[in-house]
Amino acid sequence: MVSIFDVMMSYIKEGRIKVDNTKHTHLTTYHDPCNYGRKSQNTFGQAYFEEPRWVTQQCCPNFVEMYPDRMNNYCCGAGGGAWAMPYKKERIWYGRFKAQQIKDTGAKLVVAPCHNCRDQLMKSLVKEYDLGVEIMYLWELVSESLIVEPWSDEEVAAGHAERDAQYERDGVVVDEEEEEE
Amino acid sequence: MSTGPIKPSREHRLLGVAPDWADTCLTCGTCAGGCPVTGVDGLDVRKAVRMAVLGLDQELIDSRFPWVCTLCARCENACPMGIKLTKLLRKARGLRERAKVPDPIHRGVVMNLERGNNLGIPKDDFLFLLGDLAKEMEDDGFPGFYVPVDKKGANMLVTINSKEPFGEPDDMKFWWKIFYAAKEDWTTTSTEWEGVNWGLFSGDDESMKTQVGRIVKHLEELECKTLLLPE
Repeated sequence: MVSIFDVMMSYIKEGRIKVDNTKHTHLTTYHDPCNYGRKSQNTFGQAYFEEPRWVTQQCCPNFVEMYPDRMNNYCCGAGGGAWAMPYKKERIWYGRFKAQQIKDTGAKLVVAPCHNCRDQLMKSLVKEYDLGVEIMYLWELVSESLIVEPWSDEEVAAGHAERDAQYERDGVVVDEEEEEE
Repeated sequence: MSTGPIKPSREHRLLGVAPDWADTCLTCGTCAGGCPVTGVDGLDVRKAVRMAVLGLDQELIDSRFPWVCTLCARCENACPMGIKLTKLLRKARGLRERAKVPDPIHRGVVMNLERGNNLGIPKDDFLFLLGDLAKEMEDDGFPGFYVPVDKKGANMLVTINSKEPFGEPDDMKFWWKIFYAAKEDWTTTSTEWEGVNWGLFSGDDESMKTQVGRIVKHLEELECKTLLLPE
């Protein structure tokens, strides 16, 4: 089992992917999800604090920390299933601490490596607290920063062969009409 | 909330906290002082501990507090006496009658057990969606890309968050583009690919275990070396 951070770090360090650090030049901050930080530390004895910051800074050199952060970070307000549950008013009120933290950094981009946190930040707190910031998943940031080299003709052909065999096995038909016309 | 007499007898101790918590918890309030939901319904995490100590277990289980709490563990991290506050509140969630678990958490757990993902997305819909999205990506500068499904011997098994195929399908492409660039040998599965384990939130250890067991089974059957669970 590997964490998303280990994967993204090793891809970058081993040169398997290249990221462009001139695309996201705004001041950027990073939100520590409880589950990857404090709760990972408590449950597994290992927190992911430095790894996501390193990955973020490969894409965004202009970086600022929230205060407090890491083990003492505030939850976004939507953890523990709260994003899905019906206590919306309480969830938004909970998020006032996180909203203030974000405002205090002056950042224009907040990176969150968690589905729950990203939804709470992007779909609730930005509007409710008028934050004027962009929210991205960490893997979204990496993906948007990628310098992609298309596969060679041989690799494309191999991909197509594997794909066709799989679609045949699973009975998948992808609509090709637009191409045929 | 009931304000009836205190019930310290064994039969009321549903949460099973050790009696010495009454002394271990210094009632200093460090936990509640740093918690953003302190005060909701007149409760806070310090009071939750007192309720459990005083035998007001059922009252705590029936209250909204364990659910508006996000189990973030900031309180637990700050507690000078090492009280397992998050464990207590999650246990209170688990003791709530399943039909009274705030929607849609338990409903998602049941759906997952019955149909393989929290939102009940059928296998065929899922496979055709992956096919369509892969086609879009090919046309968008990623020639040769497709989503490997049930690929035996793949290096990395990747789970999926059902909200994405359900409502935000393009967001799946973020990881796919990274895999493409890295030329990762990866796969997902045609069924039981759900990465979101709501048993964690509903306090339902048995269901949680079932879902984890499915992922382990996939790993073994497909002989994948690595699991990536991007939640």
